[in-house]
Amino acid sequence: MTDRNPMKDQVAIVGLGSTGFSREGGPSPLAMALAAATEAITDAGLTAADIDGIVATSEPGATGPEKIAAGLGITEATHHTKPTPVAMFSLLDAARAVFSGAADHVLVVTPVVMGAWNSRRAVGDPWRRGTRSGILPVPEDATMAAAYAAWASRYIHEHGATKDPFARVAINSRTNAAANPLAAITAPLSFGAYDAARMIREPLNMYDMDLPVDGADAFVLTTAERARELRHHPVLIHAASTGIVGKNDEDQLDGLHRHGQHVVVDQLKRHTDIWIDDIDLFYPYEGFTIITLAWFENCGFCPPGGAESFLREHWNDDAQRIEIHGRIPVNTHGGSLSEGATRGTGHLREAVHQLRGTAVGRQVDGAEAALVTPGGFFFNPQGAILRRA
Amino acid sequence: MAKNSEETTSNVADSDEQLIELFAGHGITRDNAAHFRGRLDRQLLMARCGDCGRWQHPTRPMCPACWSWDMQLEEVAGRGTIHLLMKLHQGPAADGVDYEGGHPVVTVELEEQPALRFTSTVTADFPTDQVAIGTPVELEWTERDGIPMPVFAPAVSS
Repeated sequence: MTDRNPMKDQVAIVGLGSTGFSREGGPSPLAMALAAATEAITDAGLTAADIDGIVATSEPGATGPEKIAAGLGITEATHHTKPTPVAMFSLLDAARAVFSGAADHVLVVTPVVMGAWNSRRAVGDPWRRGTRSGILPVPEDATMAAAYAAWASRYIHEHGATKDPFARVAINSRTNAAANPLAAITAPLSFGAYDAARMIREPLNMYDMDLPVDGADAFVLTTAERARELRHHPVLIHAASTGIVGKNDEDQLDGLHRHGQHVVVDQLKRHTDIWIDDIDLFYPYEGFTIITLAWFENCGFCPPGGAESFLREHWNDDAQRIEIHGRIPVNTHGGSLSEGATRGTGHLREAVHQLRGTAVGRQVDGAEAALVTPGGFFFNPQGAILRRA
Repeated sequence: MAKNSEETTSNVADSDEQLIELFAGHGITRDNAAHFRGRLDRQLLMARCGDCGRWQHPTRPMCPACWSWDMQLEEVAGRGTIHLLMKLHQGPAADGVDYEGGHPVVTVELEEQPALRFTSTVTADFPTDQVAIGTPVELEWTERDGIPMPVFAPAVSS
């Protein structure tokens, strides 16, 4: 694990675009990508002629960078990739392209698309039939999404935990979503409704997991130097990491005590001047609520198994949301439990809005630094510290 | 290690194509095909390094501990404890699976090696209150769609 971080504060996020997210189904993946992309480029104060790098995602059903380039009328580009889904893989690829000199203004476009593989609603849509694999997995499968329910029961077993901290994560997201016009679901959630919810993969119920949605986020990245000439106050990537352990098969993981989240945190701490006592905003992924409890513990807000008492102590009962030390709000946009399965792009987008002062209707005054931790336990844990320039 | 295979179905998978069809939903690959052939003979086979003796699951062609390519498929005893558990209240339709009340999916840590685990379900008559993390279990064979299926029963002996 390296201490080198030559990219620290050298790359800025200067443009944001988003279609917002919907469970009803949006336009085509290409249409969503182009809508988010044009908004992000315009938001940065740039035009298609400035964009010389395009980073998309290998999300199933999403449009490739070459088709986005064609659709946007980009003349030529010197960097074009489609990394693994989950936000930071694409953001970091773009940042490294800027830092290395592969390109000057890199567009990141990350659509998520409801498919027949993850959405019953999509099965009936003839335009989405191509996304069906045709092979149904056996029920006895503890990989991918199901693994989080399996490890949630292990967490409860090892720590004697109740569902209370899971409920607080879910309720916090819904409370914050009320002020986010991009969210797919904005109805508030009560403890009673959480407790009464239908179990899906027990011990996780329908409020413990995000939902398939249609939508796209887009970002524009450039050098910190160039960013000073553009429209918005720049937000800098101070430190960023993706990490895994080698033994990462979901049901073979050594345990909750050491997985990819721990690798990410160890690397971030070696790379950053800013840590959890210095941040103003926290964006832990909550596509499954167990992931969020683990991020609280693994980032060091509380010891292993301590999330239950920590979230109770740092709960604002009047506001029905988490406020760490009464100061640091968590997932101010309502997270993936409200926007849907954005793979963490919403967490990044919202952090940038807050840090540059454009989180209209939910702005946290004087926010200077944010810790963003998308991803789960197995093959996609990742984290970034973003700061206002 | 019940090998009561009076009605063994091993003959139905003479070809790779047939084997793939039988285990399509299990994520069968060239690397783990031998494990699934073993199931047809009611043998729970897992990969073990012929050089250093380490087990690994799922089956891969090389030992990650010593980089030996001498991977052998060996039968495990099938004894262990429930390490992970979930109860599915919805999911794909499958022979003998009832989601009403929650279909248990257990990941059992096997006695052969720490953190060597196998995921399946439990026997139909497994006492519900004992389907819990920490419960000792042992392998039993049942069938789904006529294909032998390894599941776990309460441990009767230790």
